[in-house]
Amino acid sequence: MISIPPAGSPEREALIAEHKACVDSMKGVAGFSILKCETPGDTTVVSGGVHESPLLKRVLLRMRGESPAGKLIVVCTKVEAEWRIARLSGIRGVPPEFIDDKVYDCEQEIQHEIFLMRLDELPESAGMPEDYHEGWKRRSDNWPVT
Amino acid sequence: MSSMRLTGYADKFGVHPGESIKFYVNCDGPSQYKAEIVQMINGDTNPRGPGFIEKPVPGSLEETVSGRKQIIHGGSYGFVPDCNALNVESFTLQCWVWPTTPITHPKYWKHGAQGLVTKWSDDVGYGLFINEKGHAEVRINGEKLESTTPLRDHAWHFLAATFDAKTGKLILIHEPQIEYALDPVIEPVEMTISGKLKNTSTPLAMAAYVDGVSEDPLAASSLPAGITFAGKYNGKLDTPRLCAKALSRAEIEMMKLGAQPGLTERRNSGPTGPLSEVIVGAWEFSEGISTLVATDFGPYRLDATLVNCPTRGLTGHNWSGTTFDWKQSPGEYGAIHFHDDDVDNARWDVDFEWTVPDDCKSRFYAAKLTTPEGDEDYIPFWVVPEIGDEQSKIAVMVPTISYMAYANEHVACNAGGAELFIYRVPIMQHQNMFLAEHREYGGSIYDTHTDGSGICLSSRLRPILSIRPKYDHFLAQAPWQYPADLHLIYWLETMGYEYDVFTDEDLTYDGLARIENYSVIITGSHPEHNTGTQLDALHNYTQRGGRIMYMGADAWYWVHSFHPAYDELGRGVMTEMRRCESGIRTWRADPGEYYHQGTGELGGMWRFRGRYLHSVAGVGMSSEGFDISSYFSRTPESNDDRVSWAFEGIEYDEMLGNFGLVGGGAAGLELDIVDTMLGSPPHTLTVATSAGRHTEAYLLVMEDFGFNQQGLDGTTHPRVRGDIAYHETPNGGACFAFSSIAFCGSLPWNNCDNNISKLVQNVLDRFAVPGPLPAAPADAIKYRGRADY
Repeated sequence: MISIPPAGSPEREALIAEHKACVDSMKGVAGFSILKCETPGDTTVVSGGVHESPLLKRVLLRMRGESPAGKLIVVCTKVEAEWRIARLSGIRGVPPEFIDDKVYDCEQEIQHEIFLMRLDELPESAGMPEDYHEGWKRRSDNWPVT
Repeated sequence: MSSMRLTGYADKFGVHPGESIKFYVNCDGPSQYKAEIVQMINGDTNPRGPGFIEKPVPGSLEETVSGRKQIIHGGSYGFVPDCNALNVESFTLQCWVWPTTPITHPKYWKHGAQGLVTKWSDDVGYGLFINEKGHAEVRINGEKLESTTPLRDHAWHFLAATFDAKTGKLILIHEPQIEYALDPVIEPVEMTISGKLKNTSTPLAMAAYVDGVSEDPLAASSLPAGITFAGKYNGKLDTPRLCAKALSRAEIEMMKLGAQPGLTERRNSGPTGPLSEVIVGAWEFSEGISTLVATDFGPYRLDATLVNCPTRGLTGHNWSGTTFDWKQSPGEYGAIHFHDDDVDNARWDVDFEWTVPDDCKSRFYAAKLTTPEGDEDYIPFWVVPEIGDEQSKIAVMVPTISYMAYANEHVACNAGGAELFIYRVPIMQHQNMFLAEHREYGGSIYDTHTDGSGICLSSRLRPILSIRPKYDHFLAQAPWQYPADLHLIYWLETMGYEYDVFTDEDLTYDGLARIENYSVIITGSHPEHNTGTQLDALHNYTQRGGRIMYMGADAWYWVHSFHPAYDELGRGVMTEMRRCESGIRTWRADPGEYYHQGTGELGGMWRFRGRYLHSVAGVGMSSEGFDISSYFSRTPESNDDRVSWAFEGIEYDEMLGNFGLVGGGAAGLELDIVDTMLGSPPHTLTVATSAGRHTEAYLLVMEDFGFNQQGLDGTTHPRVRGDIAYHETPNGGACFAFSSIAFCGSLPWNNCDNNISKLVQNVLDRFAVPGPLPAAPADAIKYRGRADY
């Protein structure tokens, strides 16, 4: 497993810059990926992002594979207008809770906000032996498929 | 954020002109709401498209309806009405259990004790439970006796409780079927009860206990009406028995055999004469697996009514692993799996009805509910002509089984966003937030139950918040299923076509008669879930010269059947599907549990029943990815005289669909390809392909490989592509397959003035002309192989 580049490292800064460029280029697309649209908002030609940065690809896979409890998600609070960040409860019947009052007016930009938050939250050693807990024996380690 | 204060459903999906349709509404807060009927044109709010469009309907109702709250009493259970035989003084209550959530999180939506077999309510009566600590527990009135250790989840246990009214002695036996080396010995526990067993006049419950009897209108949607149940159990229950005597351990063992009636030389219904004299009930869930009855073989015929359709046809405590079809050895399938979020019918009262005018056009409609405070809900339905009264030569087949399969889907919540396959952080809508809190609305066949087991049944008699306009699905970050199919409807309306609509149910029940009067059938964007008779009808149609325009991808994939126990409530009320040995599966059926409980047929993929997807319309699913879409390019085969008419007005090197409202392109989400080895007719022409253009989020389907290996994604694998394809069928029929779920999202682009729109128009104009299509050129007639041309 790759480790998450530590705060302040050049690798981390490069990831953040590439991620942001991809997010900005995806504005207007009825979908989303961490790839750069040659023409903003148009997926005819895409490049960069996860296709050309092995580290960015793997960091994102690690983040995406985290278990549901406490996982950050986006909630659309006003159709086509407002979005907020919430956390999944990980408990059936307990809905996600908003993390704060901040309202975003772009469904794509919020992806970058969550990326930054996850960089700070995911320990460098995530998924390594020092991270072991008994849940690994019963699928709670990293099993984000129903 | 606003909560959803209006939710509702109708008694049917498809309604004929002249018939009436009933609407059931929960109005939780507002004193009244306005109800009207609208025609649905476009459901997508994306500002780059035409925006949301609905149309007034001649003859619509416009009513102000008094609001009232209605609730769903979710969770499956069984009940036997109160009777003298059940009101015992002494008893032995025994059963096998396979609990899935004996211990739940304190915040779990139904945290607390779970009823197993109970004739108990409010500290009166008796029953076997799992208590909130996960221990087996027997209750007599307000007294409780628990076993020494919690029940192991996902494991069989035999439980028995005896009570002797004379001595007051209460014993609880807990015997695990599997014992591991370091398990403690679990001895029976006992205590002495001083008072008498009082009996309650409430029903005997299985997998629940009676919470109360009430005149409250909210209790009216429970079954029996007015009696509400709590302590809904998650797990399997097998062969419960009730005797009116405290049996010895040896007698209990004998009693496992059940009532055993039917031998001609026997004159009793017990495993022994003495036991026959004390049997109250001996239920065999292996009987009537396709029904909603849990049959009692005891002397009083105390059959239990099952509510909310628990899962049956599942392996019991004695399953040997040698038989895999419950019909072949029902005795090994004596388990019912109850879930606290099962729902078969909301059972709400009718709030308003609409009689469809005789001259009503066959179209997509919805009951629109609004309040002045901004509350809103749409309840979609379809006006379907009677057979023989078709209004057009073109018909749209509305994939309602697929809508039901995705009904109230919880994947974004349950599966940690399923981010590894959608390749971004999911966006949840109002509907998802509401459902995350209201698990009683039930889940989809993509979900797991609250106990983690797969959901294999889905009812349409409940509000289905995913079949709504203005709803972007987390999988696509764009419309999916119902609102995505409205892209097609918007295009048909804008282009001025006359068309009829019918549903999957109509075709399933009516067969060929439903479609034989149409020149062309147009599918939805993702008709993934189908019954066998529906596929039969489509094959029979194209064999006789019918034309199919397959507007999407990943169709004809899963085996579905409608549960026959719901037939009296209408067509297609409850659909069933099992996720078996292969295919894209968000859960996987356990060994021995592949056969449908309703029809007894083998579930899973049609492919593994020998009905290849590619045989229906020429292409079959090959890959999926959910981040962004791409576009198609023509191939040399598009210039073949057999099909070149489809590309009139389109240059050879045009990018086909490098625009759209789903993923930004016409080729996306799920993609089909031509494969003559998997059922595509060998004369199929691949006229355009998106090969080489997909992202690494797109992956080859697992049923196409037998070995995990690198190179399965869109940047490397040659089968990760969509193929637009054409082939002729006998007698002047044909199929045109557009092979991408995102495809219809390109139709509305630029007010329908684009090359995808042009291509579809060319095909539809040719296919819609009554009578056989022009014959293929003579040199096209030749014998072709499958692997070897």
